[in-house]
Amino acid sequence: MVANTSSMDLSLTETQEMLRSTIRSLVSQEFPTQTLLDMDSKKNPFTTASWNKLTSSGWTSLLIPEIYGGEGGSLTDSAILFQELGRGPVPGPHFSSSVLGTLILLEIGSEDQKAQLLPELAAGKEIIGLAHTESEYDHEIVGMAASETHDCYILNGTKLFVQDVLGTTQLIITALLQPNKLGLFLVNSSTYGLEIQELDGWSTGVSNVHLNHVKIPKSSLLGTETSNGWVELFAAVERALPVLCAYQIGSCEAVFDMTVKYANKRHQFGVPIGKFQRVQDHIISQINYLDAATLSTYEALWKLDEGKETAKSSVHLAKALTSEAHYQICNASHEVHAGLGIMREYGLTLHTKLSRTLYHYFGDPKYHKTQLIRSLNL
Amino acid sequence: MNFEITFTPEQQEFQIRVRDWLKRNMPKGIEHPADPANLTRGGYEKQRELGHRLALEGWLYPTYPKEFGGGGLSPNEALIIEMELEKYDQILPPYYDSGGKLAAASIMVWGTQEQKSIFLPQILKGEVRTWQLLTEPEAGSDLANIQTTAIKNGNKYTVNGQKIYVGSSHGAEWSWMLANTDPGGKRHGNLSWFIVPMDLPGITWAPMDLIFAGNENGALSGFKNTVYFADVQIPTENLIGGENNGWQVADTHLEIEHGLMQGSLLGDHNLRRTLNACRKLKKRGNPLIADPSIQEILAELYIDSEVTRLFHIRIHWLRSSGQKISYQGPQAYLQMKRQALRAAKHTQDILGPYALVMDDKLSPEDGFIEVQQRGSIVAQHPGGTVEIQKLIMSRKLGLGKPSMKYGSKH
Repeated sequence: MVANTSSMDLSLTETQEMLRSTIRSLVSQEFPTQTLLDMDSKKNPFTTASWNKLTSSGWTSLLIPEIYGGEGGSLTDSAILFQELGRGPVPGPHFSSSVLGTLILLEIGSEDQKAQLLPELAAGKEIIGLAHTESEYDHEIVGMAASETHDCYILNGTKLFVQDVLGTTQLIITALLQPNKLGLFLVNSSTYGLEIQELDGWSTGVSNVHLNHVKIPKSSLLGTETSNGWVELFAAVERALPVLCAYQIGSCEAVFDMTVKYANKRHQFGVPIGKFQRVQDHIISQINYLDAATLSTYEALWKLDEGKETAKSSVHLAKALTSEAHYQICNASHEVHAGLGIMREYGLTLHTKLSRTLYHYFGDPKYHKTQLIRSLNL
Repeated sequence: MNFEITFTPEQQEFQIRVRDWLKRNMPKGIEHPADPANLTRGGYEKQRELGHRLALEGWLYPTYPKEFGGGGLSPNEALIIEMELEKYDQILPPYYDSGGKLAAASIMVWGTQEQKSIFLPQILKGEVRTWQLLTEPEAGSDLANIQTTAIKNGNKYTVNGQKIYVGSSHGAEWSWMLANTDPGGKRHGNLSWFIVPMDLPGITWAPMDLIFAGNENGALSGFKNTVYFADVQIPTENLIGGENNGWQVADTHLEIEHGLMQGSLLGDHNLRRTLNACRKLKKRGNPLIADPSIQEILAELYIDSEVTRLFHIRIHWLRSSGQKISYQGPQAYLQMKRQALRAAKHTQDILGPYALVMDDKLSPEDGFIEVQQRGSIVAQHPGGTVEIQKLIMSRKLGLGKPSMKYGSKH
């Protein structure tokens, strides 16, 4: 029987399945729990070596069109990759460079800028991050203004709670050009006056970026005369978010697997604790959250890849569901693991901490619920 | 009806006396770090010093009989002491002494006259700090499954095994330990309690690496340890409540652990701190506290906090009027655990990344909010998981016992 190409099918293609299994084995081989714990405790922070482990096979080029030296893959392809990274969870500027940064460049970059930068990104030689949020932690607001001199721009101020900038070679820094025009500046991470301050606490990969009279050449402003900045940034974010969701979903899957395994292995009162209905309740809630997040995310990815008009609301739905799922799946796992789960060496807390960190990254569930309703035009 | 805790004129005088006394006796430089893991050795010693001074007045363990080193005071007077200590961010006892709390309660019920007069004064006067040694790798929720053995050998017990999630930082003089005294014996009929001096040969301990050490109702613990016993010799006089009677003894004191949280009457610190942060942090020019969508979340925090307070008001009333506490103990404990978890999420919903950061400049409320984020996860497990609280409540409510005729052993 010949499959009808238009019939519904939620499975991955053969190539996608191969991509998934290759990365899954790479992640479990190169990033065992102890390596991830050492990276987290900063005993052995993110380095070029850990970057190279993942990039040597060319995955950094997945979203980059072939004319710029990339593979011209779909967002769904990228999501499959990131879902596997989330299973670690593998930390580092992978999302910020190969997805968010890349998509921003594709949206706003002039032809010259794209031709110059995208091949470098594809080859994994340049690693970029986005320094955008400020003291109110609202990605719709920028207070920092770029002051213009005859030959350069000058940036002053602090970008707060910036995600995954350690290990980047360049940063896209946002600053106002006019009240309604946002400048996106590509700045070398080691520029004089730019200081990255890692932040401690119950979060992963968060830093402040201090800009003290940073002088940057005019050519570092991304885009052209007609660029608005906000429009292109948000278009890129909309495409990037479901890939971030996939990364969170990978983390959820790993936590779910860990929880089921433990519930079957751990005996109390003479039976595996998975026999107890109260324990089952936690695990059932996990799979319900996980499936809702996965289906909504892949539907959003499909809509974006196919250019469907309703993609926008699907993206908000996916991020609202996924952030909540990630948070609650980790909580449920702690309930099942009890004391064991809070031991750092066990590895669960790497996921828990990540679930908190990404909960509000580019909008918490409350924000996306509001945006969802708006985009539905009810 | 009267929901207000009212003090008699004598109690009001007592409050003034406690207040004045604390002004004179609070050790200078007493510490109250956001994360108790940061309590210094010096800070710990100051807590112990305050303990000694309070004990001289009978205020360290105020409700215990005077003859054993307590204060012979009423629950209201104990509350007064805690209210006044609260102003210095201190509680009773001012150091982590959960083993002392449980051991003292059990010795009062199960100890011989001699044991009472030897062991109680040292705990109640703050001469020793006691860790509780209950949990083991194979005995978590299923506490009856203790594998640590204590085998009688003349006038000693030889102890071998391992205990986890124990104690705090800076050591302890004693521990209060549950061990298996009859390895081949019947479940629930093979356990015994011991008071164990921690300096006995063969006892070693090492800190565990946890996201937060947590607490079991009382002063916070800075660290949790794994404690190892290798052929440790414990005198038979240190066995409390009789050999193989440990399950009955545990019933006495787990009830205490699940019911006495006087501190909850003194106000909700996390709510106060979140409100403070909402007054200081701004969004689009306005303080967060003025934002209706944030007020809605604050209402949830406030409601949860009120339910906790009311549950504890009732327990205080039941205790003060000499009535029996049943399901209300585990109910209040369950509520506190769940409240902590919900509060963490509400707080993050309000403060975003500010709730997670530990930084001199950026952390609201000196980092206490970040610590609550980690602590709320840990709080679900000590003193029995949420599932165990529900189990105890169900038993107290008589669930699964269709008629008295078929009543279970418990």
